[in-house]
Amino acid sequence: MKTFKEISLTMVCLVLGIIVAWQFRSVKYNQVLAQYEKKNVSEIIDELLMEKSNNDKLKVRLQELQQEVDAFKNDQTGDQNRLNALEKSVLEARIMAGLETVKGTGIVVAIEPGGFKTIEDRHIEELLNELKATDAQALCVNDERIVATSEIRNAGDYIMINGRQLVPPYTIKAIGNPGDMANSLRLLGGILEKFQYYEFKVDLKEDENVVIPGVRDDGTVLRINMLTPVEQ
Amino acid sequence: MKGHHSVMFIAFILFGIIISLQFRGVINKSEVSAKELTVQLQAAKEENRKLLEQISNVEAEREQLLNNMGDNIGNENLNKLLGERDYEYLRAGLTTVTGRGIVITMEDALAKGEMDIEEYIIHDSDVNAILDELKAYGAEAISINDERVIFSTKPVCAGPTIIVNESRYPPPYVIKAIGDPDVLYEAIETMAQVAFMRLADIRVDIEKQDQVVVKKYHLYRSLDKMFEDLEVVRQ
Repeated sequence: MKTFKEISLTMVCLVLGIIVAWQFRSVKYNQVLAQYEKKNVSEIIDELLMEKSNNDKLKVRLQELQQEVDAFKNDQTGDQNRLNALEKSVLEARIMAGLETVKGTGIVVAIEPGGFKTIEDRHIEELLNELKATDAQALCVNDERIVATSEIRNAGDYIMINGRQLVPPYTIKAIGNPGDMANSLRLLGGILEKFQYYEFKVDLKEDENVVIPGVRDDGTVLRINMLTPVEQ
Repeated sequence: MKGHHSVMFIAFILFGIIISLQFRGVINKSEVSAKELTVQLQAAKEENRKLLEQISNVEAEREQLLNNMGDNIGNENLNKLLGERDYEYLRAGLTTVTGRGIVITMEDALAKGEMDIEEYIIHDSDVNAILDELKAYGAEAISINDERVIFSTKPVCAGPTIIVNESRYPPPYVIKAIGDPDVLYEAIETMAQVAFMRLADIRVDIEKQDQVVVKKYHLYRSLDKMFEDLEVVRQ
């Protein structure tokens, strides 16, 4: 009787031990799973926030357009207003294309190689992308305006932008919110810290009067001869 | 001896409850919220699609009104301005265009091999390099997943998706470019980055086409607001 009791107790403890161990493993596995889920959730939240803010912007835009159309329909102010509105939209499209010289508040960054490393296309590109991310409204490198078809490429020791060779020091100008733009560049582990490591000499200035020239208008940078508009 | 039994009994019951609680807690929490969020996300995307559609309807109406105005009044200035506007909108990327060119389709490797996992996914730098190459070889209009590339476009690869302009897209990434198809094809086909991507089983298909359609830039804000911080300098 006593041996039976001992054996059964041993069996029970053994089974319990196995179950606990199994449980422990499954909890651990679930934790890993939960981490993946969590990452997944945070990605979904990011995307959701982006979509929501987009929708808010679109609603405002729709309202503006509707007002504009309504104003056109029951307009008593006459043709002059319409002409003015059209003139304005032509000018704004030219600004967007990069054809107009513009000025405003922004930052000016000058970079010069100081040590073992030359400045390459990807360094300039990275810096420009950082500024684009903070909603820069106009950009140029050594007075070459950045437009939709501006390439940024190495050509020997130089950098080519808009088909022109640029030499250091590179001066990047951007119009937009100067504080935001400067902060995004100075971020811990950000691009200026990396440039410091490369021993580039960097000079960043906030400026109230940044002037950015328009792109040359000879059909070599903004090209349209192969484009046919599509009616929609 | 009897008291000992009942203590053990209670201890084991507690033990069991705690284990099952923990087990359930770990599984449930995130799963439910992920589902809810996905539903919300779908709804937001649907709303986004509807808004874009409404906007393009109103834009078409405005276009119609403007054109009618020109015809009705026969005002020469007005007609001249309308022509100018079409021309500048074309140059600004605010018009959908078509022409000969190439279409590049890219997709992450399906299975991970023995290299670092980073080698098997498409990076921002790869997409940027391709864009720069296209621009350098004369591309006139470019889009990524139908988002028009303008001066401020900066594609970002985030996880298994790409963010272009204001929106996020899952793979495959489709880059369309209008320009000389032979020149563009040759330029992209011979890029070192493209060879490296193909080595890692990343799909990079390049196709010449006679009728590439590059969509116009979707304005999420009026041009007025897009450029509110700058003024034009006339020389």
